[in-house]
Formats: sequence, C-alpha cells, structure tokens
Amino acid sequence: MKRRTAIRNLGLATGGLMLFPSCNFSEKRVAIALNKLQIDIKEEILLEAIIDTILPETDTPGGVALKVQNFVWVMMDDCKSPEKQESFLKGLRLFNPKVKEKHGDVFTDMDKAERLSVLKELMDDQTADKDLLNFLHTTKGLAVWGYKNTEYYMTQVMPYELIPGAFSYQTCKTIHSNEKINSNA
Amino acid sequence: MPNFNIDSTKNNTFDAIVIGSGMSGGWAAKEFTEKGLKTLVLERGRDVTHIKNYPTTNMMPWELKHAGQVSYDLRQDNPIAARCYNFREDSQHFFTKDKEQPYVQKKPFDWIRAYQTGGKSLLWARQTQRLSDLDFEGPARDGFAVDWPIRYKDIAPWYSYVEKFVGISGEYNGLDVLPDGEFLKSMGLNCTEEHFRDIVAKKYKNQRHVIYGRCAHITKNKDIFMKQGRAMCQTRDLCRRGCPFGGYFSSNSSTLPWAQKTGNLSMKNDAVVHSIIYDDEKGKATGVRVIDANTKETTEYFASVIFVNASTFNSNMILLNSKSNRFPEGLGNDNRLLGKYIAFHNYRVSISGEYEGNLDKTTTGRRPTSAYVPRFRNVHKQETDFLRGYAAGFNASRQIHQDTNGLGESLKENLSNASYGNWNVGSHMMGETIPKEESTLSLDPEKTDQYGIPQLKINLDYDDNDEKMIKDYVEQFTEMFEAAGFKNIKAHDIPDKAPGLDIHEMGGVRMGHDPKTSLLNKWNQLHTCKNVYVTDGACMTSTSTQNPSLTYMALTARACDHAVKESKKG
Repeated sequence: MKRRTAIRNLGLATGGLMLFPSCNFSEKRVAIALNKLQIDIKEEILLEAIIDTILPETDTPGGVALKVQNFVWVMMDDCKSPEKQESFLKGLRLFNPKVKEKHGDVFTDMDKAERLSVLKELMDDQTADKDLLNFLHTTKGLAVWGYKNTEYYMTQVMPYELIPGAFSYQTCKTIHSNEKINSNA
Repeated sequence: MPNFNIDSTKNNTFDAIVIGSGMSGGWAAKEFTEKGLKTLVLERGRDVTHIKNYPTTNMMPWELKHAGQVSYDLRQDNPIAARCYNFREDSQHFFTKDKEQPYVQKKPFDWIRAYQTGGKSLLWARQTQRLSDLDFEGPARDGFAVDWPIRYKDIAPWYSYVEKFVGISGEYNGLDVLPDGEFLKSMGLNCTEEHFRDIVAKKYKNQRHVIYGRCAHITKNKDIFMKQGRAMCQTRDLCRRGCPFGGYFSSNSSTLPWAQKTGNLSMKNDAVVHSIIYDDEKGKATGVRVIDANTKETTEYFASVIFVNASTFNSNMILLNSKSNRFPEGLGNDNRLLGKYIAFHNYRVSISGEYEGNLDKTTTGRRPTSAYVPRFRNVHKQETDFLRGYAAGFNASRQIHQDTNGLGESLKENLSNASYGNWNVGSHMMGETIPKEESTLSLDPEKTDQYGIPQLKINLDYDDNDEKMIKDYVEQFTEMFEAAGFKNIKAHDIPDKAPGLDIHEMGGVRMGHDPKTSLLNKWNQLHTCKNVYVTDGACMTSTSTQNPSLTYMALTARACDHAVKESKKG
C-alpha cells in the first residue's frame, strides 16, 4: 500500500509535467551531443515520438520524461558497431516514408492511439524492410533496458539497493502468492 | 661530485625490495614492514588508494552512462581484456589495456593484467580453497613435473596465519581433499544448492561433495579487521569496483595500508622492472633496474633481499631478462628450465540446467560466492584415462521473468510486474592442467615493448588430457544434474576459447628439491641466488584445482619469515 501511495504522490509531484505533451516537437531546441551518429533535430524528434509511443506517459512517467530516448541514442552511438549504427539510421530514415506510404500521414502529426496502432503494425510486418524492422526492434529493446535502468524504475517500481547490508542474502525464502516480486531484489 | 652517486645509492637502498603490489606482493610488504625491514614496493601501474580511487564504487546503476556495458571502441581496442567477464563499464579502469604491453601469442592466450597498486587483488573472484597433500603429492604420485618440496604440514600454519588476517567465510566440512581453515560465518547454500548437495552425497555415497565456496569476505566483526579499517561484507556484489567497506580482501584495503602504518614502506608507482641486478663478485643479487613508465628513465634500487611478486608471467619475464655473466640465460636459470612447465586452470566448459522443484522458495539479496564441488576424480588413486581432475563451481538461483511484449500502456504494465520461473542451475569446471616442458614463456628475440623490454612469447594450449577431462566433466555433471532432477541440461564448451581467462596461469619458476630440475627451493629462494625469492604463481610446481591466491599469500608469508630469519643469521 505504501508503495502505491508513493507512486501516486510521485504522479502528483510530476503532474505539471504530465499536463503538457511530453514531446517537444519544436525544432528550436538543443540537439543531443553524439560522437559518431550524424542526426538532425527532426530525427531526434521522431525517435522521441516513437519512444513516447512505446512507453507513454500514464499515471506514471513515460519514456520521454525519463529521457529514455537519450539512453537509446547514447547506446547506439557508443556501444554498437558501425554496421549496426548504419542499419539503425537507415531504418530510422525509412520510417517516415513508409508511414506516409501506408497511412498517408506524418507519424508525429498523428494522435497517440493512431501512433500506437501504426507502430504495432509496422513492427509486426515481417515483409517490411529489414533495416526498418531492425531499427524499431532495437529501439524497443534499448528503450525497455533504458527504462528499467532509470532511477524512477529502480527506486519506485523495482527498488534496487546499493548496500543490502551484511547477511541480507536469504537462502530459502518462502514465496507468498500475493507478494509483489521485485526483479531487482 | 663523487658524493652524489654515493648519496643516490644510499637513498635507493632498502632492506627489502618487493616487485609487485598485488595479492602476494602486498603480503610481502606487510610481513617485511611489520618485522621492521625498510621495504620498497615497486608497482608498474598507477596508484590506486583504497576507497579514494574507486571512482564507480558508490554509483547507482542509472548513473552508469551505458548501463554497465563497455563502449564499442574500448572493446575494439582491447580484444584481450574485453574477453574477461569482469571487464565492465564500472571496472574497466582497473584492467591494463592491450596496447600497454603487447605480447607474442605463439598460440592464442588471453593474458589478463591489472597494473596498479593492488593489481588483480581488486578484481579477483575471492575464492579461497586450501591445497591438500592430495595436491602436493600429485606430481610424485602421477609422474609429471617434479615433486613439490613441501607438504601440507609445511604450509598449514601459514594458511591459518593468512586466513585470520584476510577473513574467510566458510563452513567446516572435514574433507581430506579440501582442508578446513580459519572460517568466519557462512552466508549459506540456498535450498536448491542444498538439494543438489544431498542428492550428490547420496548417489555417490559421500564420495562427492557440494560445499559452500570459501571466500575472502568478512562475515564477522573482529578486532583484527577493525584494525585494518575493514568492515563486514555488505553483500553488494560489486567487488569489481573496489569495496568501500573493505568487505572483501584486497592489497589495497588490507596489506598495503597495514604496511604503510608501520612507517617502513616506500611505495613506488609507475616503476616498470627491467631486470634484477646480479653482482658476480658478491655472488648474489644486489638490486633492481627500474624504468619510469612516464619519463622512461632508468633507476637502480638496492636491497639485500628481493621478492619477485610481479604476477606469474611478469615474474618469469623479469628473471629471463635478468642476464649477467654468471647467468647469461636469465637469473637462476642454469638448468634452462626457467619459463618452462607453465600451466593454468582449464575453465573452458560449463553446464547449465533448470530445476522445477522448490517452486515455493526463492533467494533474495546478492551473495558474493557460490557452492563448490571439490575434486572427486583420481583423488586417492588413478581411476580414469586422464591425469588428475577438476573442481567445479555450482550455483542455483531463481529465474525472474519479465514480459517485454506489447507496446504502450500494456508494455508498461508488463514491466511493472515480474514472475518466478524455474531455478537456473549452473556449474563451471576448474580443471588441473599438467605442466609440460613444451608449455613455455620466452623473450621474443626481436620485438620489444615501449620500455625496450623484450616482449613475452607465450606458447600454451590445451592438451589431450584437458580434452578428456572436459568430456568427463560434462558426463559426470550431466549425470549429477539428472540425478538431482534438473532439466534442460546443456553443456557449453567453446573449443576455440583460448586459455587465460581463468587468470590462474602458474609455473615457470617452479619449486622443487633439486636445482637440476627446478628453480626454487622449498623456501621459494632461487636455488642459485638465494636472496631472490619468487612467491607468486610462478613458483607453482603443479596447479591443483583450487583457486590459487590463498596459496600464494601463505607461501609469501612463509617465505618472508624465512628471509628475515636468514638475514638475522647474517
């Protein structure tokens, strides 16, 4: 119960943030500083819109508010091979034309429900271009990883303890059916 | 200015010089300084002061830029170091980068190095199992290498001596194959590990044992640990970052600050040892030639006793490179066996499975050790078509699943929940390998490193005995896993995985009775240059199956005691 209250309170505290659209679609903003990937603001905004669709703002913070998009960019920029980076950017650049071709509209102009159904359809389309699919599935994989690695998730959803304390290892704990399972315990 | 040289010699003269500040060098520093010897410790890497230089130790997971992953460029630049399981975003700064010290791989070998104060003691897996007479008598019984010049009774008191200072969490098992030591509390086996233990004991009529892996973690507060400034292990399981509590043993948290407090320690970092100086007239070693890693200038330091604790391969290198009129083939190398009979631990294969029992049970928290299966093959007599045997790690943990299907709200909902799956069970093999004459280290005749020191040439590989042992391990553990009701059993052998990642390379300067067939005597002195001692992994006559650091520490403390007694004799 306490945890739920805490999460609710967090919702109230971040309420201001939730009242406004989480995506800043304005092109007048500072671009993320990357070392290798050459991207423009429009591409950043597109990725943000996709992240916002994968992990939307609800009564808990969404991916964009948690800056999961930055994690995706940084991981792509620093940790992936040039081949994977190339495929990722190729896929990213195929996204808008493909959406336009199939739906006659621009992704970032769609409403949330429409974006979700468009993204689902694209990700399930096995006939789609493999770079596009790779881009979408890589983005989702990294978004999930990044989300689970956020301070919010690791303190509010699945609390992680840096210092569990001496003899905190329980060798044989009986599981009670109604207890919440903490994947970071 | 005739006085200048005299002064500089005087300033550079110590009672003892210790080459290396890692696991065994730290012990030499502690023992010598405690006994009142002015001691110089030479460390080729940078300084890493306990706590102060553990930059990631208190970082939360979300503070790591890449969630623990190492960047692509760092992996590309360091293919060798990056193959080590511990080379992570939060610990990579404790690994020596590949470019620092190139070496020649006659056959592929992953040489993992950690040049800094404390060396690999910051990064070790902290398993501390004693050797027994079944190990020390191995070569003589089975006819390989040479007979160890010591037996368990010679080292047993030194194991105890070291363990009381280090702090070992363990359980008393009363096994001849793995003698008990000075144990603090155990953190326990979990219920699935206990299940495996009971099944194995029953099936093999108490001839095979699954025990709690003894580890260098403080699990009981004692005065001796408080004096070191170390506290109980907080089960963070982030040892690779360096422990701010000193919960596990490292030179940085324990022996080196202890030595520092005596006022007798001089520590010199960035000091790459080129060679040991041998004086033909005096008939002994007089000092060490050191290259400053930054300025590349050479300085000589002098002492009446020199301990070589540079890590197995580097200790071999230093001796091979220590050429004099008396020893043209390297210090102490009359028999030309220096650098030969190198061996390691065979870690090539592991096995995994799942257990569908104990489904109402789980573990919580992070235990920094696992279960251990002491050697059960060829223990008392030869029983198989291969020599010696293997120990194994064993670990069980409950699977926690998270559904990552879906997009949008459903995905978020999925990620806010978790469910238990079966238990994962796994084991990895730690095989004894046979030291052979053709398993060698040598100095490349042409290639040198950035300090002008000849590059090391490594010629090591698995042999037929290792292959047979791998096969047997897989068969035996499959049988044991099946007996325990484990399902989905899979062996994971990577035949092209080079040796080295065990980080248990040993030998080349082996101990023995006879100067004709060994380099060191029973006190770890070079037979033919008695004021030089080698007490790291290079001294090992055979490898046994046990994690070796504890033995290096015990041998070092024993050798220091001997050296001090010898010096008092004059």
